[in-house]
Amino acid sequence: MDTEKTVIRVEHVSKEFRLFSDKGVYLKEKLLFRNRRRYEVRKVLKDISFEVKKGEAIGLIGENGCGKSTTLKLLSQIMYPDSGTITMKGRVSALIELGAGFHPDMSGRENIYTNAAIFGLSKDEIDNRLQTIIDFSELGAYIDNPVRTYSSGMYMRLAFSVAINVDADILLIDEILAVGDIAFQAKCFNKLREIKRNGTTIIIVSHSLGQIEQICDKSYWIDKGLIRESGDPKTVHAYYLEYMGQKEGNALSDNEDKISETCSETNEKENAGEKLGENERITGDPEETAQKRKRFGSGEVVIDSVTILGDDEIAKETFKSGEKMTVIAAYHTIHKISDAMIGFGIFRVDGVHVAGTNTYIDHLGDVELKEKGTIICEIPHINLVSGEYLFDFAIHSTSSKVYDDWKSVQRIRIYSDTYDIGIVHINHKWEID
Amino acid sequence: MNSLKEIYQYREMIRMMVRRDLRGRYKASFLGFLWTFINPLLQLGVYTIVFSVIMRSNIEKYYLYLFIALIPWMFFSSSVQGGATCVLIQKDMVTKIRFPRQVLPIAHVTSCFINMLLCFIVVLLVCLFSTGLNFVVLPMLIPVMITEYLLSLGLCFLVAGATVYFRDLEHITGILVMLWQFLTPVMYSVEMVPEELRYFFMLNPMTPVIICYRDILYYKQVPQLQTLLVSFGLGLLFVVTGWFLFDRLQRHFAEEL
Repeated sequence: MDTEKTVIRVEHVSKEFRLFSDKGVYLKEKLLFRNRRRYEVRKVLKDISFEVKKGEAIGLIGENGCGKSTTLKLLSQIMYPDSGTITMKGRVSALIELGAGFHPDMSGRENIYTNAAIFGLSKDEIDNRLQTIIDFSELGAYIDNPVRTYSSGMYMRLAFSVAINVDADILLIDEILAVGDIAFQAKCFNKLREIKRNGTTIIIVSHSLGQIEQICDKSYWIDKGLIRESGDPKTVHAYYLEYMGQKEGNALSDNEDKISETCSETNEKENAGEKLGENERITGDPEETAQKRKRFGSGEVVIDSVTILGDDEIAKETFKSGEKMTVIAAYHTIHKISDAMIGFGIFRVDGVHVAGTNTYIDHLGDVELKEKGTIICEIPHINLVSGEYLFDFAIHSTSSKVYDDWKSVQRIRIYSDTYDIGIVHINHKWEID
Repeated sequence: MNSLKEIYQYREMIRMMVRRDLRGRYKASFLGFLWTFINPLLQLGVYTIVFSVIMRSNIEKYYLYLFIALIPWMFFSSSVQGGATCVLIQKDMVTKIRFPRQVLPIAHVTSCFINMLLCFIVVLLVCLFSTGLNFVVLPMLIPVMITEYLLSLGLCFLVAGATVYFRDLEHITGILVMLWQFLTPVMYSVEMVPEELRYFFMLNPMTPVIICYRDILYYKQVPQLQTLLVSFGLGLLFVVTGWFLFDRLQRHFAEEL
């Protein structure tokens, strides 16, 4: 069998959309409000070319609005390109909107017939596949109930079962592998692998890079309508994640600026001696303002700054999971301190206490602090799963007096190219006999 | 030719849509599918009362004369008028699923056609009991019906494709079809048309079709097949141009809808 045959050829394809601000579809509107027909041309795809060989699986990744779903719609011929050509060989089955042709009042069985007919199967072909489809969907006796009585999981299971059993030569999938429970997802994956082995060409659009890595031989990273990287999924995804990490990091620091601006505004108000909010009067503790809650202490030791460096010795807020992290805190004291205890805590943004330790727990005993100095704490591998975390830093005395306790001094973000769940990534190794 | 092959591949989808449409037409009504037969019968009843009691016509058995032409005309008009919305109402499928969009007009016209065939059971029975039938010329109905199907389908392609871009067409079509009905000898005979205008009347491809139906069922004679041949040719031309225009227009359906 000629496995090197090209089944999809996309040549210099461009697509633009006209975004009408207020478009009339009726004659009156068209005549009267001609000047309202102003539109903005958005180029979604700019001269894209690629080829896919028979039996290959391709993943399309990219940010929202980058053009990957449009590419899939062009491939499925729901839309046509403005310029360029797309050649496809064989029967195409597109899992773009699962169950789009379902009729709620008809039974699952009847819907299999109608849905499969929309995929271009003949009556005989459907009859032959009926049992396989029902078995795959695991709907059992429910198959003769009207589809409107199905749970959304059952609905998706049925839709996926039909679409995947069409025996297409080319299968286009848009972000739908989040179907049903974990067991059913695993089953879908196995089925995808099986049909891929049988020579079906698969194109997947997904935000789940892990899913793509599991199935695809190649990834295309589409960025602003252009193919930015292509090749081995792991490599492409690493570039992509790094880019996304940096981008989100920028967005994060912008946010932080805004927060600190508002914070300083409130401080100014309070300092100017303006009347306090009623809430604070009721609590009877006017000192406990937002800022105070975030930071408190006797002031004998003051933390001047906390910076966190990454692998590259650069202060940043976004880290890759497993990266080396160095926390550097600058402090000054009013008088000599000989009983300090320095600690940090990491919280997930939703408040879950992820980790925390201090010099006392780590058997360093009473720490002496100079008039001015720096504290360095090195974390060789920050093994957190991807997400956002808050970093606390504090200096207390061993006799539980608080010198300076600074909550959420830093907000950090972790990204990862693995898809661990939970809170931390535990180092592990598999050995299977 | 590739697209023709594709349509053949999607025959089950057409069949399914036709069935769904025919069943859905009288869905939830007490008599259900029986309405397909009751409806034309009741119409016939109305015509009989109106035209033999109130507006007497000098055409013998005018109710039958009208009924024989009206059932085929209703097939044509519902094909074209409903054709205007046949893509619009399937918006969900058109924007989300891939299939040859020609399926939609084809299914719509076919559904109207089958509805006419079912009505013809009533027509034939009424003819049989009223004036009798000439079973020798009856098979001539087949080419007449095919011609009408082609004309309807061709126009349906045009209207269906264009309405997506220009929604007014839905209402404009309604009026035009009504006008067309009065320009076609459905309610009168061609002989009533002034001699000098008759030439223009014969340019209307539906005129020979209606005349043929009447020749076969009312006059029980062999229809004038030469004029029908012109209509058949036009029907083919309509389908071919309609098909290609629809094919061009459907490229931007997903964006327009």
